[in-house]
Amino acid sequence: MSHETPPTPGLVSSLVRGYMPFVVAVGVAIVMQVVVRPNVDPYPAKLLLDIGINCILAVSLTMVNGFTGQFSMGHAGFMAVGGYASGAITYYTSMRVWGAGEARGGVLSGMLGGEGLPWLTVGDGLFLFSLIVGGVVAAGLGYLVGLPSLRLKGDYLAIVTLGFGEIVRVVIQQTSPVLTSAEEVRQATILQLPTHVGGSLGFSGIPYYTGLFWVYLGVCVTLIVAFRLKTSTFGRAFLSIRNDEIAAEAMGVNTTRYKVWAFVIAAFFAGIAGGLFSHTLGVGLSPEAAGFLRSFDVIIMVVLGGLGSISGAVAAAIIVTLLPEWLRGVAEYRMIIYALALILIMIFRPKGLFGVREVWDRATWAWLSRRKSGTGARGGARE
Amino acid sequence: MSEAILQARGVSKSFGGLRAVSEFSLSLPARGLHGLIGPNGAGKTTVFNLLTGVYHPSEGEISLAGESLLGLKPHKRAAAGLARTFQNIRLFAELSVLDNVRIACHLRTTHSMGSAILRLPKHRREERAIVRRSMELLEVFDLAGRASEDARNLPYGDQRRLEIARALATEPKCLLLDEPAAGMNPQEKVDLRKLIHQIRERFGVAILLIEHDMGVVMNLCERITVLNFGQTIAAGTPEHVQSDPKVIEAYLGTE
Ligand SMILES: Nc1ncnc2c1ncn2[C@@H]1O[C@H](COP(=O)(O)OP(=O)(O)OP(=O)(O)O)[C@@H](O)[C@H]1O
Ligand SMILES: [Mg+2]
Repeated sequence: MSHETPPTPGLVSSLVRGYMPFVVAVGVAIVMQVVVRPNVDPYPAKLLLDIGINCILAVSLTMVNGFTGQFSMGHAGFMAVGGYASGAITYYTSMRVWGAGEARGGVLSGMLGGEGLPWLTVGDGLFLFSLIVGGVVAAGLGYLVGLPSLRLKGDYLAIVTLGFGEIVRVVIQQTSPVLTSAEEVRQATILQLPTHVGGSLGFSGIPYYTGLFWVYLGVCVTLIVAFRLKTSTFGRAFLSIRNDEIAAEAMGVNTTRYKVWAFVIAAFFAGIAGGLFSHTLGVGLSPEAAGFLRSFDVIIMVVLGGLGSISGAVAAAIIVTLLPEWLRGVAEYRMIIYALALILIMIFRPKGLFGVREVWDRATWAWLSRRKSGTGARGGARE
Repeated sequence: MSEAILQARGVSKSFGGLRAVSEFSLSLPARGLHGLIGPNGAGKTTVFNLLTGVYHPSEGEISLAGESLLGLKPHKRAAAGLARTFQNIRLFAELSVLDNVRIACHLRTTHSMGSAILRLPKHRREERAIVRRSMELLEVFDLAGRASEDARNLPYGDQRRLEIARALATEPKCLLLDEPAAGMNPQEKVDLRKLIHQIRERFGVAILLIEHDMGVVMNLCERITVLNFGQTIAAGTPEHVQSDPKVIEAYLGTE
């Protein structure tokens, strides 16, 4: 800004404030793994893990569908790409280096927790590296898909992203079987390995590194990034696009650029979520992970939470993950109940649970007091 | 001849067979106050859309402070120093009054997204500067007291003034106002006249004004261009255009 600026606060204190939440994130993640995990049964622990992964997916999609108001329908495509990429890295690297695909994690990895293991191992480093690469690959693909399609107006993006997810699914189906012997893996070239991810049979053998530590570390980092973006000048630029793209351009917001950015960031976190998903015990990674139904799940979370509300997306991710548990007796009707819930919300809370706001914003609850005082009909549509 | 800050030469635009603007020319000096009038559908808003890059002209040349604007997207033109308001108010309705203005400050910031995510000192400094500048602007427009309200909940006249405040937050050289007095009551119109004068003095901007209210236009503007069916039928001082028979006919003819 060209204006005279106020004095800079102490460099150290602002650095501490800047990084503190990330330190807290690591703390929370350690507590989840070391304190929570050993004290709950495997089944609720798996639910906590699913909730975490869904939170990452929902919060990241909120940045696209919520902040910038684009309608992406291919989030699962990015997740699958991240999952396959990171899975291929850990599996084939382990096969090459150690001759076996099993996880070699420490205390912070996996769902079982190990007695007498070191806290972090080389295997954990490999896993973290693979997660990041998975995110970057997904983000790169997001850039390739987003750059041309985000220039288009209207519903083209929905169609293009829907098609993208399907293309990912079909391409993965065409891949060759997983190489299961160390001998074969050593003979194959680096470029051949990514084509051996199992085709329609699914990618089995990915080491089980994912545990509550890694998932909740991912959740916390996603939340920090999303909140800090939303409450920064960039987040306001995102939200302006969703509110009125023409006015945003006229006020100097490079709308194409920020739409692509939001898309790429969201794809990155979806890729991370995919990596966490594919390294989970008992999960069979298959091409269906990229399918439309999975994307639809995430869209439901984002719409339910209120397009743009991060805490709303988290709440919705929890509800949507637990709903099948509560409805276990009527599992076949899950999709019907989803649809009904969506219709009811669209009728009674057309902007989702929290709209664009967060749970703790006072204005989120204004409708309650309005209803009580009997002046409910306010703030109708404005042209 | 004084330096023109905003210049248009022979700008034309057709929509299908309709020639919405034809051979439009304008030379707006720094700190000038220029009126653009004409009956409904004359092409006034289309001229704004051409100047700000919403539409691209089929012929003609547009420049700001000597630099051609042709081919630039609207956000680039805003960065070059061209700001506008809209005839059909286009505020960021769900966002607060303060956020509306803060968004317009964005294009003058220099820190990166990474520095926002890590909350680096430069980010904090610029964010504080944005808040301070936005509140100053709201103060000028008497809106500081409503900074945290949603823009859509403001009364109509306040919304119009918020749009002007938001446009000024981009730090423009030239401000385009599309019917700022529309829907205002007589008292608000008088206040608006004063406000527009004050804006020019305080922010040193040139102003191009579309307005149907003749009282506002004739009192404020140094020069006026009259459009009818996309053609410029008169241009000159208020006295000059008021007595021009073609202008009188255009206005009487359409009533
Ligand atoms: N995007 C568009 N596509 C087709 N025709 C258009 C478009 N925009 C404007 N027009 C036409 O161009 C002509 C000029 O419109 P414009 O909005 O510029 O008029 P105006 O002078 O601003 O009128 P008003 O006083 O009613 O605001 C009108 O006939 C209008 O219908
Ligand atoms: Mg108009």
